[in-house]
Amino acid sequence: MSEAAGHEASKDMLALVHENLNVWGFPHEAVNLGFGAVNLKTLIMTWIVMALIIIFTVAATRNMQLKRPGKLQLMVEEMFQFLRGLAYENLDPKKGASLMCLIFSIFIFLLFSNLWGLIPTMMSPTADVNTTLGMALFVFILVQVLGLYYRKGGYFKHFFEPFVFFLPITLIEELSKPLTLAFRLYGNIYAGEVLIAVLLGLIPLTATIFGGFLASVIWLSFSIFVSCIQAFIFTMLTIAYISQVTAEHH
Amino acid sequence: MDAIVQVLNLNSTLVAQVFNFIMLLIFLRVVVYPHIVRMLENRQEFIANNVAAAEEDRKQAETLRQQYLDELQMAKNEAQSIIQKAGKAAEEQAHEIIEAAKAESNRIKESALQDINREKEKAVAELRDQVATLSILVASKVVNEKMSVDIQRGMIDEFIKEAGDLPC
Repeated sequence: MSEAAGHEASKDMLALVHENLNVWGFPHEAVNLGFGAVNLKTLIMTWIVMALIIIFTVAATRNMQLKRPGKLQLMVEEMFQFLRGLAYENLDPKKGASLMCLIFSIFIFLLFSNLWGLIPTMMSPTADVNTTLGMALFVFILVQVLGLYYRKGGYFKHFFEPFVFFLPITLIEELSKPLTLAFRLYGNIYAGEVLIAVLLGLIPLTATIFGGFLASVIWLSFSIFVSCIQAFIFTMLTIAYISQVTAEHH
Repeated sequence: MDAIVQVLNLNSTLVAQVFNFIMLLIFLRVVVYPHIVRMLENRQEFIANNVAAAEEDRKQAETLRQQYLDELQMAKNEAQSIIQKAGKAAEEQAHEIIEAAKAESNRIKESALQDINREKEKAVAELRDQVATLSILVASKVVNEKMSVDIQRGMIDEFIKEAGDLPC
């Protein structure tokens, strides 16, 4: 009973912190914009992140230099080459080249989304399960389509291997992929944001001034790491799933 | 199903987010991606060209080095042959000089011998003359007037002939 009460109290406190942090006045409930109920905050944060990505990539790829690349250009190029290395290692270079744009987009979108939530009063689009599940379903459908495209009818064969009665297990395995993708990302990023809010709520202002900010600083730096890692894991798993379904079995 | 949707707070945001992502994907594909790929390709090509050029340069340098080495070897050989020729010539010349010197010394010796002989003969003739004169003087003193000058002369000549046959 007391546990439930404590849970309730912490929830109240968290709600209070969220309320205090909500300086932009986003509605807490989903609003209907004409095509169904949407979380306005998530959408607006996504648009901001998209705008940032567009500014970043366009600034980086404008006036590209062959011999003396600028800092932004170098960042984008390094990121791209890192992802291309992963893709070419796991897929063959021909398939990898055709999917590079997608892989690059997924990575940069998730990276910016994850990092955006670390800025006070902002929220990661990926801290909403709608975003992560949407991305995961997108990847899931893409994987099925690519499997059909590259292996034609032979694609369905892998559901019945090694025996026909493995079908339920393979189906569950197949369906668990988007779910794990979605909830892994969502859990990590949402937990990070919750803990940021909790640290703000738990430590009173006076304590914060006299060293209490250290906990937040440490957690924020760890969150930066987690953000990069989660973006990488999502991208890497996407590559792995695609390589699984497009690899030719002999 | 509805319960799951309720618990997870799923709504149309999901569709909107997929749509947003696809929009971003299209934008990056159209605006950003070609630049990056082209730049990387250009750089790869640039590096490949540089490597090829460096390889070419290296080959050229190797050829030049070989050429220079050959030329150096040729020059060395030539120098060697020149030195050999010069040595031979010097030897020949030395030989000639020695020969000439030998001939000269022989000639000088010959002429000296001739001089000596000539002097000797001259001295002998002079001595003969003086002996004759002295003998005549002595004989004339000794014989006085008993013998004519002609007889004396014959006797003296005979004596001198005998004396001349003696080795002196």
